[in-house]
Amino acid sequence: MFETVATNSILAVIITVVVCFIISTLLPGIERKYVHARIQQRIGPPVTSPGIMAPIKFLFKENIKPSSPVPGLYKALPVICFLVVLSMLITLTPYAFAIPALASLVAIVGLLKVEEICYVLMGSLSKSIMSVRMPFPDRVKGAAHTKTTLSFIEDISAKRSLRMITYGSFPLYLALFAPVTAARSIFLQDIVLYQQANGPFLFTVSGGIAAIVFFIGYMIVLNEYPFSIIKAKCDVIEGPYMEYASKYRSIVFITRGFLMFTLGVLFSVLFIGIPATIFSPTILLNIVVVLVFVLMMGIFSAFTPVFTNRQLLPSILGATLLGILAIVLGLL
Amino acid sequence: MEEKVPRSNIIETEIPMGTVHPAALEPYRVRLFVEDEVVQEAEITIGVNHRGIERIMEGLPVEKANALTEKICGICSNSHVWNSCRTAEIGLDIEIPERARYIRVIMGELERLHSHFLYLAHGCETVAHETFSMRVFYLREIVMELLAMIGGNRVQYGCPIIGGVRPRCDLDEAKLLRIKNDMDKIEEGLTGFAERFLADSILVSRVTGVGVLPAKQAIKLAVTGPSLRATGVARDLRTTMFEYEDFDFNVVTQPDGDVKSNLLMRVFESFEAIKIIRQAIANIPEGKVVNRDWEMFDTDIIESYIEVPRGTLYHSYALETGRIRHCIIRTPSMANIGAMQYACIGDHITDAQLSIVQCDPCFTCTDRAIEIIRR
Amino acid sequence: MGIKSFSRARAIHVMLVYTGGCNGCDIEIVNSILSPRFDAEQYKVFLTWNPREADVLVVTGPVTHLNRKPLEAIYEAIPEPKLVVAAGSCALMGGVYKNIHGDIPSEEIEGPVENIIPVAAKVPGCAVRPQDVLAGVVTLLPTLLDAD
Repeated sequence: MFETVATNSILAVIITVVVCFIISTLLPGIERKYVHARIQQRIGPPVTSPGIMAPIKFLFKENIKPSSPVPGLYKALPVICFLVVLSMLITLTPYAFAIPALASLVAIVGLLKVEEICYVLMGSLSKSIMSVRMPFPDRVKGAAHTKTTLSFIEDISAKRSLRMITYGSFPLYLALFAPVTAARSIFLQDIVLYQQANGPFLFTVSGGIAAIVFFIGYMIVLNEYPFSIIKAKCDVIEGPYMEYASKYRSIVFITRGFLMFTLGVLFSVLFIGIPATIFSPTILLNIVVVLVFVLMMGIFSAFTPVFTNRQLLPSILGATLLGILAIVLGLL
Repeated sequence: MEEKVPRSNIIETEIPMGTVHPAALEPYRVRLFVEDEVVQEAEITIGVNHRGIERIMEGLPVEKANALTEKICGICSNSHVWNSCRTAEIGLDIEIPERARYIRVIMGELERLHSHFLYLAHGCETVAHETFSMRVFYLREIVMELLAMIGGNRVQYGCPIIGGVRPRCDLDEAKLLRIKNDMDKIEEGLTGFAERFLADSILVSRVTGVGVLPAKQAIKLAVTGPSLRATGVARDLRTTMFEYEDFDFNVVTQPDGDVKSNLLMRVFESFEAIKIIRQAIANIPEGKVVNRDWEMFDTDIIESYIEVPRGTLYHSYALETGRIRHCIIRTPSMANIGAMQYACIGDHITDAQLSIVQCDPCFTCTDRAIEIIRR
Repeated sequence: MGIKSFSRARAIHVMLVYTGGCNGCDIEIVNSILSPRFDAEQYKVFLTWNPREADVLVVTGPVTHLNRKPLEAIYEAIPEPKLVVAAGSCALMGGVYKNIHGDIPSEEIEGPVENIIPVAAKVPGCAVRPQDVLAGVVTLLPTLLDAD
């Protein structure tokens, strides 16, 4: 009896994850074509191109050795990122609720932290051609400061991701813990049950504020403009991802869409109380939430420049204060 | 404003960027010396695209050399031919027909529009505001098509020749009407852009106080053009040029010398350019467009200065049996490199490229008379 | 058409390297990818600045002395299959800078691009028109699709 339940659950998880994964590959294309290109008054790429076709294309490219001091680790990092996002999605399915250690907010926060630390490692391990290694006679007679430490542009990126770990992701974590104040439990199962009994947390005052904070945190974790300091095109070009080629680059591309989807599902679990399962029509609501998030992010990022510290600190501080307000309101 | 001084003693980290970089439209190398992501000093290395144009020009027949000056720069190509022809005209005492002078002014101002729009679009792209950048590029296409209509090519039009303008660049009624209508379109679009730009508080906060260049320092570094006027110094060579005698326009200045002032400077100057083009279209005289009635003789070294979109352009050469001798060209970006290096200091790395872009660099113009150090 | 060719036809990443031309071609090309008027993204052509991501390398300019090594290094960094488009008359044959003085060799110009890296397609024009660049990248498609 127990065995059949377990097998069924595992099957259900696999089917759910596969369906979610397929939908998630469309998200970058939707953002690019229906939001950015529309706002910029042009036609834009086909929906499938950025999210599906580009990763498949990269699979068939030459697997070039990345220029990195530890190529093996550098190549492993995107796989780790992908597995992290995958386990996060599995956590959010109702079948995982049986394992309390996994289906709790602490586990989700931990997984997100792993993802962020991967960016730091990627940044510090990537040594791309575009800055120091460019063959150019820099230190010639008459040049200023010939005895400095040379720094790759990815090193800046690594430093910035470290900074993002220390304060940049506060808003998201605060928003994650806002529903806990209502449900009085950090287990996803209790949060979902509480909301099914008392209505979605989103429609309370505390939940509304926390939702806004969650959205800001969502953009920070996804490194989308304006918070994309670790991969701003105007100075660090692509930051941590500079050296990935062929299949590792395709994993990087896929992970981004998948993370967009997973964070959207996370919102619907914590704020509306709907876990992701393919065997219930509520999965449609999950997908709608994901799409709303992608569209909002697209609109927001199309109208903002990249932030520097001067704008980043106040906006993160503001979001953090809002998050604290949401938690305090929830506790009252 | 207190003077920012480059600190040269305790420099820790160097971040080189270039020669290919998304924030740069042309090859150059910039070495940023940073401390905790704040730029302490910057070194811009040009000479990457040194092609030795002045050297090639020496010994060429003057007509051929004029055609070559156009290839110095793909952005202000018309200005280079114009000034090169003007140099020969000054030296050989050639009378230019009134109509040709008007057409040259129209071309010059259209080029100013396209250069300033490129600046605005590139500036917005460098702060990663893709939407605004796209919108300005869309406006710029209108100007590009006007230039293609007059000159027959989108970039190098080859309009001025010694004695006037090329007959194929003559403007008939239909062309004048089209320019007139398109000016209305551009003015409308640019007004919309400026209003939106100023209403966008995030973008304004992002560019205010970045890359500051005080007026005193700008004069010390001999900065020219809009970059100088954005620091509050009203100096525009067009007020002294005989081509612009008939036209009524204002010399725009901006107070601060930061990126915001520079961007707004270009916007307001574009409005002035539209004003000049409208006056030129309304009053363009009839007559021939080129004066073929001149003779070649040997001259002493001739000099000519004009105001191009980026500042003061200087051409000088002597003529000997119809060929060029002692050619020297000084482009505005040559003077503005100092401003670029200075403007970076004290800013975040993300703003460093923006501070360079704010001085409207054109290193392809500038790279001519520099000795390459071989290693 | 296999899945390899199918996906390659639907996502082409183009990288631009400028090697010291007059700037006209560079701006026209960046313009053609960026400006909404031409919008290369609707033809599934994306602009990238990372050599590891690129499929097609567009080179403009006559390759001046200091630009030779960066160009080679960037070409090396691109994973196979890679193709090079030389755009503009400078990239094709050195332009006025190499040829206007007849047979006297120029010390500054190392170009044309063919001398340094293998070129698959040539787009003429001074400056190139954005339409021509798009057409040039599209003519490469058969070669790119059939490559290993």
